[in-house]
Amino acid sequence: MSMTQQVSDAALIKRLNALETKARDTQRTIDELRARDALKTQFLSNISHDLRTPLAAIITHAEILRDGMLGELNQKQRDSVTGIVNGGQQLLDMIDEILTYVRSASDQVNLAGSEFSIAELVDQVRLLNQPLAAKKQITIDRLNGDDLPPIYADRDKIKHTLGNLIGNAIKFTPDGGRVWISFSRRGKDEGELLVEVGDTGRGIARDHYELVFREFAQVDASPSRPHHGTGLGLAIARRFIELHRGTIWVESELGKGSRFFFTLPLNVARE
Amino acid sequence: MPSRILIVEDSPLVTDAFSILFRESGYDVDVAGSVAQAVEVATTRPADLILLDISLPDGDGLEVLEQLRERNALPRATLAMTGHGDSRSRQKCLDAGCAEVLLKPVAISELLRRIEHHLA
Repeated sequence: MSMTQQVSDAALIKRLNALETKARDTQRTIDELRARDALKTQFLSNISHDLRTPLAAIITHAEILRDGMLGELNQKQRDSVTGIVNGGQQLLDMIDEILTYVRSASDQVNLAGSEFSIAELVDQVRLLNQPLAAKKQITIDRLNGDDLPPIYADRDKIKHTLGNLIGNAIKFTPDGGRVWISFSRRGKDEGELLVEVGDTGRGIARDHYELVFREFAQVDASPSRPHHGTGLGLAIARRFIELHRGTIWVESELGKGSRFFFTLPLNVARE
Repeated sequence: MPSRILIVEDSPLVTDAFSILFRESGYDVDVAGSVAQAVEVATTRPADLILLDISLPDGDGLEVLEQLRERNALPRATLAMTGHGDSRSRQKCLDAGCAEVLLKPVAISELLRRIEHHLA
């Protein structure tokens, strides 16, 4: 063996060792980050759960007072206690959304498929949102879908997704506006259902099309922003749709409105 | 004689609130904070209705029903209370013999209506 070859072998071995060390370090960092992410998820889950119980007690006590079970209240007292109930309820909804997100972000989520009519499900979600829409004189219409065959998917998750999309549409649409839902078939052999949730709201700038689906993201994140929430609704919707191997996106024009779309491969969860 | 409701739930904050609610509505109330305690109370003082939290410190709330069935001490109806409303955990409760599954927290007017319905 020549002298030069010996040197280059030695150099090579040294480099190889260095690379191996680096690979080990990187793996360690990855493991550590994963463990910390799991810890964060666990923490969020625990704290949300622990926040829920006392809050539920507060709401129940306030309802007992509000309903006059411990003696009649005057109008001012009743209004004030009603404020406690409503505020508590809103807080609870936000905690629930965090819990849903934590579950959807971890590996605990599986699809529980069943066959159902998506038009009927949309009507249920419309009904649930009716009081909120009525307050702002917003109409929620389902434009078609009576003739759609039943789909096979995870009903709870599709309901949650529709609830988030329709709830957002109402939230970001000014008084007297319009929200609608429509369906079409597309893709190979029309094997995909396309669902649209549209509104005549303030719209989303093209630069923000992706941002809105990111967790904790709100286009206006300032403390004085007019719309509050967890910033998790669309992140959850995306996760649920992707679990069904569908896609979700938005098309919008500022000042005119937004149209959220998602696709559902028919029969996806049957496997 | 007023109907007796057994509240099985590990948070005293929640049992306090429900106790007031049910007593003011004319029911007799017992409280248990664990599976073991619930079985003991329900066998010594049979309840007409059990309001059952599903997650208890010493096990799954549904175990209460299992043990009461063995002892022939089932109430007329059991209403399960759960934090998450997915259809799978709902079905599990119904399969275990619960008459109904309520999503926590239930509005009190709704809760009283459901209880009245099951005791009628």
